Amino acid sequence: MVQERRILYEHLDVPDINTFDVFRQYDGYTRFEKAIAEYQPDDIAKMVMDSGLKGRGGAGFSTGLKWSFVPRDIKPCYLCCNADESEPGTFSNRYVLEKNPHLLIEGILICCYAMGIETTYVYIRGEFTLGKEMLDAAIKEAYEKGYLGKDIRGTGLNVDIYTHPGAGAYICGEETGLIESLEGKRGQPRNKPPFPAVEGVFGKPTVVQNVETLCNLPFIVGNGVEWYTQMGPTYADTRSDPPTPDPNTGTKLYCISGDVNEPGVYELDLGLTCSELIEVAGGLRGEEVKAVIPGGSSAPILTHYELDTRLDFTSLTLAKSMLGSGGIIVMNETRNIVDCLLNIMKFYAHESCGQCTPCRWGTPWVRDIVQRIADGNGRKSTMTRPKFGVAENGRWGDTGETEEIYEDLDLLESVANNIANVDTMTWNTICVFGIAVSWPAVSYMRKFRPEFEAAIREGELVTLPVAEATVPPEENYAYQQRFVPKEFADL
Amino acid sequence: MAFVKLNDLEIEVEDGTNVVEAARQHGIEVPHYCYHPGLSRPANCRMCLVEPHVFFPPAGAIVPDRQLATGCTTVLRTAPPDRKLDGKYDFIVYTDSPRVKKARADILEFLLVHHPLDCPVCDQAGECDLQDYSHRHGHDKSRYLEVKNVPPKKDLGPDVLLYATRCVVCTRCIRFADEVSGTGELGLIHRGSHDEIDIPRSHEGVPLQVLDNKLAGNVVDICPVGALISKDFLFKSRPWFLEKANSVCSGCSVGCNITVEYKADGLYRIKPRFHEDINQHWMCDDGRLGYHYVNSDDRLQLPLKRVDDELTPTHWADALAVITENLSEVETEDIVVIGSAQGTNEDNYVLQQFAHDVLKTTQLGLFGQLPGEEHKFPQFTIEADKNPNAAGARTILGSANGNVVLEGEALWEKVSEAKVVYLVSGGPERPLEDAEKAALKHVDFLIVQDVLPSEVTQLADVVLPGTTFAEKDGTFTNSTGWVQRIRKTIDPPGEARVDWEITQQLAKQLGGEMNYHFAGEIALAIAENVPEYADATHQKIGDAGIKLADSDQ
Repeated sequence: MVQERRILYEHLDVPDINTFDVFRQYDGYTRFEKAIAEYQPDDIAKMVMDSGLKGRGGAGFSTGLKWSFVPRDIKPCYLCCNADESEPGTFSNRYVLEKNPHLLIEGILICCYAMGIETTYVYIRGEFTLGKEMLDAAIKEAYEKGYLGKDIRGTGLNVDIYTHPGAGAYICGEETGLIESLEGKRGQPRNKPPFPAVEGVFGKPTVVQNVETLCNLPFIVGNGVEWYTQMGPTYADTRSDPPTPDPNTGTKLYCISGDVNEPGVYELDLGLTCSELIEVAGGLRGEEVKAVIPGGSSAPILTHYELDTRLDFTSLTLAKSMLGSGGIIVMNETRNIVDCLLNIMKFYAHESCGQCTPCRWGTPWVRDIVQRIADGNGRKSTMTRPKFGVAENGRWGDTGETEEIYEDLDLLESVANNIANVDTMTWNTICVFGIAVSWPAVSYMRKFRPEFEAAIREGELVTLPVAEATVPPEENYAYQQRFVPKEFADL
Repeated sequence: MAFVKLNDLEIEVEDGTNVVEAARQHGIEVPHYCYHPGLSRPANCRMCLVEPHVFFPPAGAIVPDRQLATGCTTVLRTAPPDRKLDGKYDFIVYTDSPRVKKARADILEFLLVHHPLDCPVCDQAGECDLQDYSHRHGHDKSRYLEVKNVPPKKDLGPDVLLYATRCVVCTRCIRFADEVSGTGELGLIHRGSHDEIDIPRSHEGVPLQVLDNKLAGNVVDICPVGALISKDFLFKSRPWFLEKANSVCSGCSVGCNITVEYKADGLYRIKPRFHEDINQHWMCDDGRLGYHYVNSDDRLQLPLKRVDDELTPTHWADALAVITENLSEVETEDIVVIGSAQGTNEDNYVLQQFAHDVLKTTQLGLFGQLPGEEHKFPQFTIEADKNPNAAGARTILGSANGNVVLEGEALWEKVSEAKVVYLVSGGPERPLEDAEKAALKHVDFLIVQDVLPSEVTQLADVVLPGTTFAEKDGTFTNSTGWVQRIRKTIDPPGEARVDWEITQQLAKQLGGEMNYHFAGEIALAIAENVPEYADATHQKIGDAGIKLADSDQ
């Protein structure tokens, strides 16, 4: 049985850990003091690079690499802490903000020291009223104790933290949308490049980091890179010669919800499999697993065939999905996938910022198609066409059989792929919201096609047994690619 | 200069040019909606997607980039020597690859899902980017079966209507109001597929601010579809029935380049034409909507003479005979000839030649519209001088030896002492100030050449019907010394004649030797005799205009 490894959450349940004095008893701010006493700023940046820490917000981009893009000669430089946690199924940052806000402040201080930053903005989701209250109180306390403000602990370091509540838009969790919103404009993502590291808040270089990423910093500094890298797997990317290490180090706050007996946030090493995670969360509620969403609602779904997938950044990317924010939603045999997709598409159609054409008018269209299928008005042609699959020669091609044409499923796939193509991973949109829409739409439809077909055929939602509802991997083009890359191997 | 491979062409473009402009310079269309060369670039329509090719080290080859890029924000620059593609190219970009074509068609499909397709009743039909691009780049049928959004039609201001159903949310109008006029009346309301352009309103929908700045008409021009519509032009004509002529606005001394659109029965609208140094892409609403006097039913169509204190219509021969009769009896020092700042350089040149050679008077004056207010915007200025050619008229009238060009009080003082005054006016109706009226009342015999009945013509003994800027060829000189051409569009109403032709006819009646056949001929004479205008022949001026050499002083 896999055990939780609590690092970020270690003292989460200590009473009054949100106050400075209690936090101090549990090594609070000692890591920051160690950083300024023992290391130069560049040493910290190097430690973060060596630790292999990947951004926990969703994209999984190497934090050290991101820092290295920031020009050091342009001042001021800003830090933006992204606490606009809005991905459905994700709720880990909220606990940090509400229960242990000083940990975040310590992380911010270390980042500011490493990057020479004097001003930090914490963009908090507007609904997190308690979180903002707690963080504001902690910031006030830190100012009083001399850990924020001018000339911190006599080192000449100046750091100010400002909290800024969002107004409820999902897209303001996208880093450039967040910056626009922070500047007081309409929350619409910017074109990239230039990336925020070069031109961010008020046109200055800006480091945008998720709460969880920043909370990792005190432990990397406090316990050292070696201690940190032994948690989680490090793969070797054999596409280059010599192979480059592809670290998935550290722990991750997995938010497990859905059909499990003990839903909640679990801090575990990266690299555990889906089934192990379900076990940690008290096991499945119900008879069998039908599907698992591995990284928030925008991640492509996993079927019961894929429960051995390791939940880390690299493995899930190879599985044509993503770890995203670590919001894991488990579904049992009673769930109807068409209904789930409709729910998700309603969310995205509502949250599209409307800035660029494909997303503005594509997402409601996708929603409407799914709605029509769910209402039993999906269209099916009376004609048939050649069926593609694994042919006699063992390769992908014409199988010699015929299949019925479900026009609305073709349309759904086509419209979603026109917003952002999930096969080539290219998007016609400004930001990755486009792919966050088409990923679930296409993956749900491809992997659970029988259930979509049944809804169209029967004229109502039909929940099929798991084995019938799921397309076996060998029959699905989406899976075919999953088995192609042989380049990654355990180090 | 950057050396770029654009499709199969090898082209050189200036550093900093974007792909859309570079392609346009070489006759290749990259369709776009949100991009406008005079505004910022949000790249939100996604229509101008192009395919850059990059060097991919593992393959050791140049391959299409993974993502398509927007042509408007992809800027072409000279690459460092070690970053050249294929050893010589600074950039390789394709605007016609299969991927690009598919992306364009897909974006157009999205643009059309909520579009009402009401082209038969839409003013923009015929000059609509959505129509044109759909025809050239789009799919042939729609796959959209759901209900379309129907946002309401809105009245945004005195001259602008918003048909929100047709809007593609390119935000050009919003950026114009923010960046060029700086008035910021426009914004987006709602979110996602419910995005709408609107002015600030209270919760009850009452406008808190309307789009009534003096540059508001430009948003209609830059709207790529039929969403923003000019009330002035609404339902008046299909654009393909309109003739077009390149001209210059006569509304003030800026001299905005314009396109006059007209039919045989009058002018229909005026649109700005790009000129980098004068008006860029814009013009003001005073100029845009100020053409109505040209179409007026009140226009002077016949010469008038005073009979029993009443102005009575007559014919040209009679009117000229009356003038000849009166002029032969006066001394030259009692004659004042007043040119018009509304007239062309050619009109004024013939006039001063008439005064100098035939009437032998050196007493000339300059008359024009009363000054208005100056309006300054972040990227545009409307000047206070409401005449298009004050600078030109002043130089031309004073070009002959000994000529004195009087203006303002000095002029009216001289007029009050004169016996005969030949006053050329023109342009919209010009009210007279008290001093002017008093001075003109003193004149024994007043000849007025104008286009509309006004306070000036009321005092005249003979009125000669002249022409407006739209009815003649010629040149205007603006306040910064740009000499630019105006062109004849419609015929003058009734018996009205081009101003210099009237003056020439009068000169001939009085025994002068003048025989010009067309305005270009007069421009050649100006070039010969006025040093500043040595280069200002119609041929050299063309559509771009020329700047006078010493005009920077």
